[in-house]
Amino acid sequence: MKLFRCILLLPVLFSLSCGDVLDKQPLDKLQGENLFSNPEGVKLYMANLYYQLPIEDFTFFRQGFNWNTGDPNNGGFAPAMVTDEAVHTEFGDFIGNDDFQWWDQGYKLIRDTNILIDIIPTLSVSEDETKALVGESAFIRAYAYFALAKRYGGVPLITSVQKYEGDVESLKVPRSTEKETWDFVLKECDVAIQNLAESWPGGERRATKWVAYALKSRVALHAASLSKYGERAPISGTAVDQKLVGLDKSAAAEYYKAAIEASETLINSGKFSLYKPSPASPEEAAENYRKLFEDPNIALNEVIFIKGFARPGAGTGHNYGIWYQPNQTANGWPHPGRMNPTLDLIDAYESYTDPGKSAPVMTTEAGNDINDYNGFSASKNYKRYDDPAGIYKDKDARLWATAVLPGTAWKGQKIIIQAGFIKPDGSAQLFGGEPITANGKTYYPFGAADRTQYSGFDTWGGNNTRTGVSFKKFLNEGVNVAPGWNQTVSDWADFRYAEILLIYAEAIVESGSGKIEEGAKALNDIRRRAGHTKDIPLTIDNVIRERRVELAFENKRFWDLVRRREYHTLFNNSVRHALIPVLDLRVSPAKYIFIRQTIQRLNPATFDYKQYYRYIPGVGSNGLVQNPQY
Amino acid sequence: MKKIKLYIPVFLLVLTVIACKIDNYPATDAQLYGTFLDAETNEPVEQDIIRGSTIEFIEHGYASQTKQVMIVKNDGTYRNNLIFANTYTITPVRGNFVPTEPQEVTVKGETQLDFKVQPYIRVKDVKIEKVGTKVVATFKLQQTVINKVKKIGLYAHPEPAVGEPIRTVLADQEINTVSDPNKIYRLEIDVPSNSSNLKTGNQYFFRVGALIDAPESKFNYAKAVRLTL
Repeated sequence: MKLFRCILLLPVLFSLSCGDVLDKQPLDKLQGENLFSNPEGVKLYMANLYYQLPIEDFTFFRQGFNWNTGDPNNGGFAPAMVTDEAVHTEFGDFIGNDDFQWWDQGYKLIRDTNILIDIIPTLSVSEDETKALVGESAFIRAYAYFALAKRYGGVPLITSVQKYEGDVESLKVPRSTEKETWDFVLKECDVAIQNLAESWPGGERRATKWVAYALKSRVALHAASLSKYGERAPISGTAVDQKLVGLDKSAAAEYYKAAIEASETLINSGKFSLYKPSPASPEEAAENYRKLFEDPNIALNEVIFIKGFARPGAGTGHNYGIWYQPNQTANGWPHPGRMNPTLDLIDAYESYTDPGKSAPVMTTEAGNDINDYNGFSASKNYKRYDDPAGIYKDKDARLWATAVLPGTAWKGQKIIIQAGFIKPDGSAQLFGGEPITANGKTYYPFGAADRTQYSGFDTWGGNNTRTGVSFKKFLNEGVNVAPGWNQTVSDWADFRYAEILLIYAEAIVESGSGKIEEGAKALNDIRRRAGHTKDIPLTIDNVIRERRVELAFENKRFWDLVRRREYHTLFNNSVRHALIPVLDLRVSPAKYIFIRQTIQRLNPATFDYKQYYRYIPGVGSNGLVQNPQY
Repeated sequence: MKKIKLYIPVFLLVLTVIACKIDNYPATDAQLYGTFLDAETNEPVEQDIIRGSTIEFIEHGYASQTKQVMIVKNDGTYRNNLIFANTYTITPVRGNFVPTEPQEVTVKGETQLDFKVQPYIRVKDVKIEKVGTKVVATFKLQQTVINKVKKIGLYAHPEPAVGEPIRTVLADQEINTVSDPNKIYRLEIDVPSNSSNLKTGNQYFFRVGALIDAPESKFNYAKAVRLTL
């Protein structure tokens, strides 16, 4: 009887055992369905996509993006240092084959975005929210493919999630032509423009219609310049024959038109304007410009898209504050002072006395030797100054806000940059040596007795500028950054209205279409904000010079030289230059003279045609056609 | 326990023995060398050792068709002593001569392969001499194609490998015209105004070059000249 009862129990046990009691879900991970079924989950996922966005900000280096996790020590070698904007205090590197690659990470972001794009139609959210998701994901994909196109030319266009079903070959997507790739990026921009709202309710830093227009302006100008100037650097090979790299000259017109239309829409929207557009004096202009980069959040009328660095720490802070302070304000960090703006950049800034052209710094009374970089010559009649920054008087306010000039104040200190002296007997003692006594006073080669009291030319630690000026733009004067990794939290302005104005002006003058007066106004509005009072005509030279000075160190110059195919002309066995301040003891009281010369310990650099495209990694397994000469 | 103690070393020994295969692949066993020769004059065609004409070669028998590259010395000769005996498709590319067709070559032992090419430009009647404080070069150009001559230049460097890519001082001129075979071109470098790179009393090499306006073309040169300043 007992046994029978037990047997009766068996079916009950069986029925229980077939439940999914054992199909446990991991408790420490979110499942895909759960993530996307909850609006907060979508937001979380979106935050990760934005994080991966290839924004060329404070954490963008030749090694890649978000270079602020793990060990971020790259010596502070910024992208500007492979252009004519700056050099590093120590490293003489130029562009290596493995630099500025973004392949695996690019396709990872695209896959992550495609996962979202595939799932949007299945989400139970309102129509507005769906639209926003469609627009945002298109914006992210456009941004990603833009970063790929400018590096590799035509790339595989993968527009939905690939699934591995046992056949690797079916996953291999061949490269599209370069034309198709740029057109795809522009089309994605249009999808973003059509679907995104003008702003986010909480003012979140997410893509809006306007950010998408800004991206489109930048993309279209890049493609247009490649079309127009590609023939300056002809290359050959399979990738060229199959049009995987290279754009036809005839495409320039449509791309310039797209750039004009997109930037014009932004200009006419009335939503944006320049921050403090009409300063009373150059001094005021310099201060306004400096503040704009110290904290772009004070200028939300000008800044279209910001990437924030919220709190000190790995992945959330950056390292500009430690690498680029002048030596005197290192605040305990062992290796400051690493960004050295070149004389080549300094020369480009206009002078208020003779506006409308670059104003190379004249160091002698004769003024006919700006191409003489041979160093001190006793026979020359150098201009003498009491003020170590005297030679920069009348130079564009933005120079004063971009670089720390010798003898100027920074963080309450007088920044001393001195390369040596001319002894009373007329011989020069430069870049070191013993102090001397002259006229009853002791003079030190670098301007002060102790190495914490000057910021120039001493090679110790690679901490002192070798170009004659130190770096200022983006640095926060009021904050003493702690001497550790990722402690700087200033925000990055990815798109500024000033760039849009310059895109507009360049597209008009390069295409010879559009409203020339409006283009000239765009150019001169920016100059007026910098304290200029005399308008200049719209010419390509004026626009490019304006880009160089207005957008200096915003990681634009590298791509400007690439898209306009000017890199190989500018860097053909080329050296970069310094303007060294030297104390002249031949006169009493001693005065400063300045010498134009090649930068010490820096090799000439050459850019090859093939470097206009990066090599594609892994062609052995992905089967893609490699770029020429790699 | 004792048995295990015995087994472990034996096991490790066996592992060690089977882990290493002796690398007995053959080493390179052939040499390839030659000269770029002017098809008309049979003289060597002067080149640049960096960023100059290159020779691409593909070894037969592999699916990958990987291009390998050789560079050329300034005097127009090249040599590769570490090459496998095999059949190759060899093409001189991106050079200072009219593009040539790929050729199939069997390399075995010491193999000579000269390239008869048509240089874009012949730099002729070159005279480089020191006149006062200047180094003055005079020369004529004979071009073999109808393209324009883009640029002419006089290049100086302490090393004999001087050329447009290897120079510390240059005097160049964009001319952008079809050259006149009778015209005497003149370029000069002022020594005092390049005092940091050209020191009086030292020896330097000077070389004259001209660049044709063709895609990916390289400079044509005359031989370098050594001068004591």
